[in-house]
Amino acid sequence: MLSSVFFYSIILALICSIFFVGIGFAQSVASPDEENCLFCHRYPQMGRYDETGKKRVFYINEKMFANSVHGHLKCTSCHVGLDTIPHTNIEKVDCSTKCHIVEPSTNKEFSHVNMIEKYEASVHGKMKNGKIKPHAEDLPTCKYCHANRMYNPFRTIWGKSEALSRETLTRCMGCHTQEQWAKRFYSHFTHRMRRRRSQAEIIALCTSCHEDRKKMARHGLETIETYKDTFHFTQVKYGVENAPDCIDCHVPVNYSTHYIRPKTDPTSPVYITNRVMTCSNQGGLKTCHPGAHAEFASGRVHAYGIKAKIAARDKKIKMPSQAENLVAERAQQEIENKEIFHYQVLKIIRLFYQMLIAVVVGSMVIHQMLDYIRTKKRHH
Amino acid sequence: MEKEQETKIKITDVKMSDSSFKTELDGDKLYFIRLNLSERVQHLIFVICFIVLVITGFMTKISKDMLGFLGGAGNIVFYYRSLLHRTAGVIMILTSLYHIYYLIFKPAGRRLLFDMMPRVKDITDMISNIRYYLGLEDSPPEFDRFSYKHKLEYGALFAGTTLMSVTGVLMWTEQDWSKFLIDISTLIHGMEAILACLAIMVWHLYEVHLRPHKFPIDHMWLTGVIDEEEMKEEYPIHYKKIMNDPELQKIYTEVRVLTDQGLKKIGFVK
Repeated sequence: MLSSVFFYSIILALICSIFFVGIGFAQSVASPDEENCLFCHRYPQMGRYDETGKKRVFYINEKMFANSVHGHLKCTSCHVGLDTIPHTNIEKVDCSTKCHIVEPSTNKEFSHVNMIEKYEASVHGKMKNGKIKPHAEDLPTCKYCHANRMYNPFRTIWGKSEALSRETLTRCMGCHTQEQWAKRFYSHFTHRMRRRRSQAEIIALCTSCHEDRKKMARHGLETIETYKDTFHFTQVKYGVENAPDCIDCHVPVNYSTHYIRPKTDPTSPVYITNRVMTCSNQGGLKTCHPGAHAEFASGRVHAYGIKAKIAARDKKIKMPSQAENLVAERAQQEIENKEIFHYQVLKIIRLFYQMLIAVVVGSMVIHQMLDYIRTKKRHH
Repeated sequence: MEKEQETKIKITDVKMSDSSFKTELDGDKLYFIRLNLSERVQHLIFVICFIVLVITGFMTKISKDMLGFLGGAGNIVFYYRSLLHRTAGVIMILTSLYHIYYLIFKPAGRRLLFDMMPRVKDITDMISNIRYYLGLEDSPPEFDRFSYKHKLEYGALFAGTTLMSVTGVLMWTEQDWSKFLIDISTLIHGMEAILACLAIMVWHLYEVHLRPHKFPIDHMWLTGVIDEEEMKEEYPIHYKKIMNDPELQKIYTEVRVLTDQGLKKIGFVK
């Protein structure tokens, strides 16, 4: 009874949330379309199949766009060129383009180039020592992770936070009288204050590549489904506040999230000498394992995967494809003898228990079935 | 004797026994004590802790897709899951420690330990019991106070609780140990949980719930006693020992007034 009430209240809350979120969007006013792109692009059917057979949609929902983080930009700020109709001189959007917005702290033209520089230096950047990395096409670009995201709705289903938003905005507008501008500034600001993606969303994003066995093998990496055997992921499953996702341990403290480095790099938080800090106190931001010492922190967090398997087996292991040979090669270099020993101990314990469970429970089932049959027979 | 009768709870076995065991509805009857009050309380605490531990423990193994319905409540659910698991674990460990104290310092505990000790007869009993199941012998072997089934289960419980407690405490204080030790603990804790769960389901729940004449439940875990018929049938050696020794009779037997009222109170008999 209680659970069904709970269930219905959840459904009701969901319906209400959809309803109120809709109101939130409807309230804000769209920016004027100076270039008149919406003359054509406002039609929902607008689109075509491109040369590869992929369906492309060119429809722009005016209200949704106005509420997006890029909502006050002109179309041609990012879509450079496009001066002929039909658009034949099309270029891919480059996020490092200067978009004619003045960045208030320096009064210079704004562009995302700062982020891109940091990103290019990270493990996901395409260049290494001035050369393009092998299989660079696998590496994610800006748009792989970032869409033209919408601002969090100004008005939320939680009455309290709405009142808070209103109150704050009223204060802003005491001086900044233009409501449209004040709203946008407020949204921009609060958007940055919150986590944009939940832990589960971060993991879904990272695993969209890092669980692809073939793609990873091309780069000599193992897939990270072993993370899902950890207690870290168990917490993420339940949506525990501050549960550790990929970013928490792989992005150096006080760096942009774009700056993820390999674990062999001394700036990486999973580099062996940085581990104690990473586990115990992330620069004062989070304290997960307050008393962690080197012995605890130097251990393996993700469970042993394919590399340990390869390293623990015959040294002369031959794997079918050349890409997988790369994994094997790196496994020999990366997996230490100590780790091979640990892997084998765990494997033996697991095997022992599997056999124990099969034998013990199997013989119990047989014993009790025999007991049942015999007792029934005797008394009837 | 009368005073004793008043203090003991009143029971019946009419509803739960097979028709062959049915006895007259009134009058005094001889009962045999299988579990004393302390043992029953220990068992009850263990049952509750075990169920809580199993549920809150295996909750960590539920797949992500099945947890979608929790939504934002997941955080609080997980908090109480962790709290309950640790609380139940601590209570279970304390009960186990009390049980060890009970085994060493209480006369009833010492008798239990002595009767629970493995003997050569257990192996021969097991062989002949299985031969009996297979129809190679006409009657089952005669058991003493505890049969080989009880001894195996008690041993498994003892070992299992020890392992689970040690690995559980290690995981609780994880930052004080090496990660390798924690990995081993996590693995053993999980595997032992599966083993314990399956063993309890197959071995113990069958014995007390599904076994013919026990279905749907053997009330002995609450009443602590069985009647003379059952005693003769299941534990003949112990029965003979008790009947030939007045000292043992003082310990293991009692006369109770046969009435429904006792069990009605705890809601077992309609």
